[in-house]
Amino acid sequence: MLEYIRQFISQHIELTEEEFQLLASKLHPVSFDKKTKLVDIGEVATTVYFVLKGISRRYFFRGKQEVITHLVKEGGLMGSIISFLTGEPSRYILETIEPVTALAISKADLEELFSSDKKWEKFGRKIITAFFLQTEYRNLDNIRYSTRERFINFMKQNPDLILRVPQKYLASYLEIQPETFSRLKHLMVKER
Amino acid sequence: MNKAFAEIDPVYFEYAQKYLGRFMPITPEELIDLLQYCEIRKFGKREILVHQGEVDNYLNLVVKGLVRKYLPVKKNNVILQLATEGHVVQSEISYLTKTPSMVILETLEPTILVSLTYDKMEEALDRFPKGERLGLMILSGMFIKKDENRYNRLAKSTRERFFDYIDHHQHMLQRVPQKYLASYLQIKPETFSRLKALLAKREK
Repeated sequence: MLEYIRQFISQHIELTEEEFQLLASKLHPVSFDKKTKLVDIGEVATTVYFVLKGISRRYFFRGKQEVITHLVKEGGLMGSIISFLTGEPSRYILETIEPVTALAISKADLEELFSSDKKWEKFGRKIITAFFLQTEYRNLDNIRYSTRERFINFMKQNPDLILRVPQKYLASYLEIQPETFSRLKHLMVKER
Repeated sequence: MNKAFAEIDPVYFEYAQKYLGRFMPITPEELIDLLQYCEIRKFGKREILVHQGEVDNYLNLVVKGLVRKYLPVKKNNVILQLATEGHVVQSEISYLTKTPSMVILETLEPTILVSLTYDKMEEALDRFPKGERLGLMILSGMFIKKDENRYNRLAKSTRERFFDYIDHHQHMLQRVPQKYLASYLQIKPETFSRLKALLAKREK
């Protein structure tokens, strides 16, 4: 379980064994049923989770329609990250799709870590940079690729998600009309 | 007073202080230290700062002028940002990953930038006592802003996006061709004209 997070961290920063143990001491194993709401709109998020197993979505409502902005599976960080960072009420709902097991860290513990040594602030910056890049790549891809290209790219990169996540969620996440999504899926099956 | 500070126009100093002050209180002495790592760069109107395929080395604070950032898509240029005084502009992915830029940066007016290279930024954050905290805050701020833009695009109607923007950036109607604003707001040019007419009515 800890090996998994060690691998994740090593992508961002090098830690000594002692430093890693310090971080590990702040992480708490948690598990949630499927369809559990972890953060609701208007709540302040005080925890982020490193996902070990399962999948979650983050969404808001436009009128009565759910707009899914994020899907996070194993190896990712889930949370209402903006609320977590700003301390302001969340604009999003964070909810599990499958049962989730994760390692949780509280904002208070993270702040304590940051205050203890500059190195942890740098670590925080590297993680935020990764989030930032992910958001910006998606932003640019949404502009430069057609609906069809976006669909194909996503399915190539995440073949497991089509089986794990309801189709209407995937369509919303990709900003594709549900009917168009079905049509593209049929096309993909035919092409095989 | 050190030499570099004497050379810095107080206006630039003020913009830098205002920008960094959003993240943490910065004393004038600290700001002078930090500005040692920066360069002042001057450009004419319609100069390309970053070409597509070129690595963007700079984080830029606009202290005078106007820069547009755009992504060429087929025959269109989609405008991603119109940066004026006090704004930070750069090809973020290129800067942060040192890879060729997908986007183009171009001045629309004569422009002055306070610029910081990636390596100098790392050096400054490392040496400056509160540097890593500042770096964390700046990146968080950039990330929060990106998320907010995305939320606004998905949550708000065309009309809301138009009025939100114009209410906060009235001067841009004079400074930038209308088609650029329409592209930036992802509004069709005809719709933009219609909304602008509504604006004139509203103000009467």
